[in-house]
Amino acid sequence: MTVLPPTLSGAVYDRGYRPYAGPRGGRREATLAVWRLSMRRALGLRRSWRQKVFPWSLLAVATIPAVVFVGIAWALRQDTFELSQFLAEDFLSYREYVGVSTALLLFVALTAPDLICPDRSQRVLPLMFSRPLTGSDYVLAKVGALAAIVFGFGFLPQVVLFVGRMLVSDGALDYFTDNAEVLWQVPAAVAVLAVYYALLGIALASLTDRRIVGGVALLGVALVTSAIAGIVEGSSGGDGSALAVINVLALPLDVRDLIFLGHLGFDSALSGVEGGAVLATGAYLVVVLACVALLLHRYREVDL
Amino acid sequence: MVPPPAGLPLLRAAGLTMTYPGGTTALAGMTVEVPRGSVGLVGANGAGKTTLFRLMLGLMQPSAGWLEVTGRVVAHDPVGVRSRLGYMPEHDCLPLDQTAADVVATFGEIAGLPVRAARQRASDMLDLVGLDEARFRPIGGFSTGMRQRTKLAQALVADPELVLLDEPTAGLDPVGREEMLELVGRLAGFGISAIMATHLLDDVQRVCEHIVMIDRGHLVLTGPIDQLTQRTGVMRVEVGGREAAAEALVGALAPHGMASTLIDDGTLDIDTRDRGEEAFDIVRDATADLGLRLYSLSTRHRSLDDLFLQQAGRP
Repeated sequence: MTVLPPTLSGAVYDRGYRPYAGPRGGRREATLAVWRLSMRRALGLRRSWRQKVFPWSLLAVATIPAVVFVGIAWALRQDTFELSQFLAEDFLSYREYVGVSTALLLFVALTAPDLICPDRSQRVLPLMFSRPLTGSDYVLAKVGALAAIVFGFGFLPQVVLFVGRMLVSDGALDYFTDNAEVLWQVPAAVAVLAVYYALLGIALASLTDRRIVGGVALLGVALVTSAIAGIVEGSSGGDGSALAVINVLALPLDVRDLIFLGHLGFDSALSGVEGGAVLATGAYLVVVLACVALLLHRYREVDL
Repeated sequence: MVPPPAGLPLLRAAGLTMTYPGGTTALAGMTVEVPRGSVGLVGANGAGKTTLFRLMLGLMQPSAGWLEVTGRVVAHDPVGVRSRLGYMPEHDCLPLDQTAADVVATFGEIAGLPVRAARQRASDMLDLVGLDEARFRPIGGFSTGMRQRTKLAQALVADPELVLLDEPTAGLDPVGREEMLELVGRLAGFGISAIMATHLLDDVQRVCEHIVMIDRGHLVLTGPIDQLTQRTGVMRVEVGGREAAAEALVGALAPHGMASTLIDDGTLDIDTRDRGEEAFDIVRDATADLGLRLYSLSTRHRSLDDLFLQQAGRP
C-alpha cells in the first residue's frame, strides 16, 4: 500500500458552527434588504433570461421615441431651415414625453403583482415579519422599489432626449440655459407619475394572492375609469365636467401639467372646470393616501 | 443597543393572556419562566403554541400580562427582540423560484447582516444543514426534507440567540426526521437556544432539556425533562416457570411490606418506594425460593406520554 506523505494526503476539517460577531442593522437595513430584493426581482436580475426580457425591452420601448427624434434631428443638422422647422413642430416635448406611459402602465400591471403576490401566496411573509421589519417598512420597500424602476424608465429616455436635443442645437450651452427649467420639471413630474403608479399597482395587487388578478385589476381600473370619464366628458358638450376626475390615470398627468405649465393642459378633461387644478391635485392626493392606508392596513399584521 | 446578560432566562411570562377579537382565548393568564437551552413546547392543536410564538415575535400585543424574551420585554422593543430571534415555520414558506443560497442570504440581509456577511453565512449554514451541494438549485425542485433544512438554515443565518421551531419534523420520512432532530440537538452546542413547538413527545424527549406543556391556553406543566421523567418507584417484573407465577410472587412479597399489582399471569408491578435498592434483592430471593424463572426486572421511568395523559386528564 502506498502511503502518501502528510502534505499530500489532505485532511478533513470539521469547521463546526461559527458565531457571528460583526455588525447588525435594524429596521433601516431590513427595509433596504427588501428593497434590493424587490429591485432584483423586478429587473429580472439573478433570474432566468425570460424574466429579464420584459423589463429591459420596456426600457428600450420607452427610449425609442427619444432616439428616433434625436436621430431625425441629427440627420437634418446640415439643413438649418429643415432642422429649425422640425424642432419648432416640437413633436416630442418633455411634458408630453412624461405622459407616454402606456408601456409604463403595462410594466406596473405585470410587475407590481409579481413583487408582492408570491410573498403572500407562498407564505413568505411570516419569515419576513419575524425579522426586524414592520408592515410599514415592507410597504415602503416594495413601493419604493417599483417607484424607483418606473422613475428610472421614465427619466432615462428624457435624459436621452435632452442630451440629444442639446447636441443637435446650434449652441449646446444656449440650449442648456434656455431649457434649464426642465432639469427640475422632468424629474418632479416623472416622480409624481412613478409614485402614483407604484402605489396604485401595489395597493391593488395587495388585495389578491394571484398575480394575474392583480395585473388585471390595475388595467381594469384604468380602462373602466377612463371610459366613464370619456362618457362624462362627451356628455358635457366640451365644457368639461368635474366628474371627469374619476379617471385615475389622468390625475398624475394633470399634476404633471401643473408642474410644466402652471395650469392644466388644454387636453385635460378638467381644463374647462372651475377649480379644476385644485380638484385634480386633491384627487391625486386622495388616491395616494387611500393606497397608503390600504397597504398599511393589509400589512398591519401577519399570520404565522 | 447593549444586549442583555446571557444568563437571563430564555422566556418569562406573567399573567400572559391573549383573547382574539372574536372572543377566543388562546392563552389564559400563563405565568412561566424557562431557562436557556433546548425547550419543547408541547400541546395539542389549538393549545396556544402558535399564539405564544406570535407574542414572542412581537407580531401582536397580549390582551393582558407581560412577556420577556432573552431578557428583553417584547412590548417595549419588539423589533429588538426579533433581531436576535430565528423562526422556522411549520408550513411551506420559501420562494420556490429562487436558489437556496439566494433565499438564505436574503433572509440574512433582512435580519440586518451586511450583504457580504449574509452571503458567507448563508453558505456556512447550508453547509451545516447538509445542503452545500444543492445551494444553487431552485427550491421548487427540493424534497420536503431539503426544504425543511433550508428553513432551518434561514432561521440560523443571523446567528440568533433563540430559534423558534414550529413542528420541525412535520412531513419528514424517518430518515429526514432523524437528520432534523440531530441538527436541532446540536443547536445548544452552538450556543443557540431553541424552543421546539410540537405534539410529538418522542421528539421532545430526544432533543430537549426542558418542557413547557400547554393545554387550551393554560400552562399545565413545566420543568427539566430529566426530573419530570425520573424513576416512578415502580419495578416491573416478568416471571414464569409455572401457572400463575406472578400471583405466587405477589403473595411472597406481601410479608416484606411490598405492595404489588398484578398485570397478567407472568407480569407484576411492585411498589419499591419503601425498600429502595434492597427491593431488588428481595425480589430475586423470593423468585428463587418459589422456583420461578426471572425473565426481566426493571425500574419504570415516567414517560412524557404518561405525564401528558396524566395532565390532560386533569379537570
